[in-house]
Amino acid sequence: MSRRGPKALFITIVLVLLITPYSGMSGYLIRLFATIFLWIGKTGCWNIISGHTGYIDFGAVGYYGIGSYVTALLMTKGHVPFLVSALAGGLVSGLIALPIGLPTLRLRGAYFGIATLAFAEAMKQILLEFDKTVEVNFFEGPHGITLPMGPPNEFFYYIGLAIMVAVVGITYRIRGSKFGYALRAIREAELAAELSGVDTLKAKVEAYIIGAFFLGLIGGVEAYWLTYITPHMVFDVFITIQMVVMSLLGGIGTVFGPVVGASFLTILYELLHRDFPYTYTIIVGFIIVGIVLLMPKGIVGTRTTKGRVRKI
Amino acid sequence: MLLFLQSLLNGILLGGIYASYSAGFSLIFGVMGVVNIFHGEMVMLGAFITYWMFTLFHIDPFLTIPFSALSLFIFGYLVQRFVINRVVEAPPMISYILTFGFHLIIAYTALWVWTADFRTVTTGYSGLNADIGGIIIPYARFVTFVLALIVVAGLYLLLNRSEVGRAIQATAQDKEMARLMGVNIHRIYAITFGMGAAITGIAGSMLSTYFIVFPQMGLPYTIIAFCVVVLGGMGYIPGALWGGMILGVVQSLTATYLSAGLSGAFTFILLFIMLIVRPAGIVGKGIVE
Repeated sequence: MSRRGPKALFITIVLVLLITPYSGMSGYLIRLFATIFLWIGKTGCWNIISGHTGYIDFGAVGYYGIGSYVTALLMTKGHVPFLVSALAGGLVSGLIALPIGLPTLRLRGAYFGIATLAFAEAMKQILLEFDKTVEVNFFEGPHGITLPMGPPNEFFYYIGLAIMVAVVGITYRIRGSKFGYALRAIREAELAAELSGVDTLKAKVEAYIIGAFFLGLIGGVEAYWLTYITPHMVFDVFITIQMVVMSLLGGIGTVFGPVVGASFLTILYELLHRDFPYTYTIIVGFIIVGIVLLMPKGIVGTRTTKGRVRKI
Repeated sequence: MLLFLQSLLNGILLGGIYASYSAGFSLIFGVMGVVNIFHGEMVMLGAFITYWMFTLFHIDPFLTIPFSALSLFIFGYLVQRFVINRVVEAPPMISYILTFGFHLIIAYTALWVWTADFRTVTTGYSGLNADIGGIIIPYARFVTFVLALIVVAGLYLLLNRSEVGRAIQATAQDKEMARLMGVNIHRIYAITFGMGAAITGIAGSMLSTYFIVFPQMGLPYTIIAFCVVVLGGMGYIPGALWGGMILGVVQSLTATYLSAGLSGAFTFILLFIMLIVRPAGIVGKGIVE
């Protein structure tokens, strides 16, 4: 299993991407690339939480939404600069992940998935109804918040690139570390890991908080980029679903899987979505079914290990 | 007082509707451990079967029930037999990602073919109510409630009294042992999924007479079914009734005394707390992994 090849390729691509905006890249491509970077970031976060531990998080969008709202509120109500606000968005997400992760990560399998889904949906409903219920104007309910106008797309291109490199880099570091082995041990046989002296709950919660922090940060960045957010937009369950599908397509629990999966699906979306909106989603459905049945380790996973799906 | 009784009754009737489409979810999870994300799409298909039969041939919605039960049985049987059976031994996350793929395919194909229009099945008795001492009981909802009780009771009897039912229970308890006893577990899985799909289709047909029918209606039904089944206990069929009632009454009382919008938030907070505190469900008979 050679790890040198993909790593060198990734670094080369990143270096090329650093200078391409100066070589007459069209505005459309800059926007598309920034979108891809941020999807790789989100998918990478989901992969850190779920790919390594096998705990499928269906509420990952909750942290993205929290980050968006913290950033939007700080920028509009407190006139805090963008970078500080987005960082605060990440920190608040990470902080909320602790009390949410501690009880839910004790649950197994489907129960964890449902509990996290319930968490994200509850956040959405609370933001939608809070103002009306306590009669204030703070979260602005379904009307959403308009952020100050942001800088041009090049800015988000570089922010996105930085976040992507950070998330992929951290995944790479985790994978080779003792922490990474603990996480994979949890996925393969949690009881055995526990018996071997791994503090499984601590390891799971740490991975969960790392993922939540970056999701919050990305939420803040995208809120500023879009300049307008509503609870329906930033807590959309479809965002979680995209993260799951992109990870699955690229290869769950691998370092470069999210990069491959997110790039492929974002480009497919770009090509199909405008002219054939339903076809795109139907194709995604068939891709999922096909991958699960034919290559459950995803593109990267299938390439690096020629094994079949492990039967229990 | 009247207001309280009325909203309590509304909650119970709503709970019956919830139970009617959640029992199948519980059955499928209990026997195969499959969390079926396209559950709501089976409700949608049942509702659309009734809608088309009613619109094209003017068949009474309640008379379309056998037809939607049979169609959904065949559909569920085939999906399990030829697709889900292939991953039923893989880790559980594989099965929910797979069923999620089906959710996308079914919901968006339906959207493509039937468009996003909101449709209704309006019969002569759609708006009719019984008025008992000032408390209003809508007929259609009441009939659904009774049918939900019949479906859950029937399923319970089928599982406990029939040959197939005993085979299903044996497979759920210990599939290797069931296999050794000569049970064809893949066939049992297919029958179980078919049965779960059939009762879900029945629920879809019934609720089409008072809820809006459209291709993307499915996901909220899946989420509610999750909640109901977790509240009642995963895999414990009568638990669907308990879970449905609790959820229905909580939502109805929240909507009456606090705000309609908050009932959604309450649902999820209740679910979240329930999972942490009592994952085996309110009567404690659910499966805990």
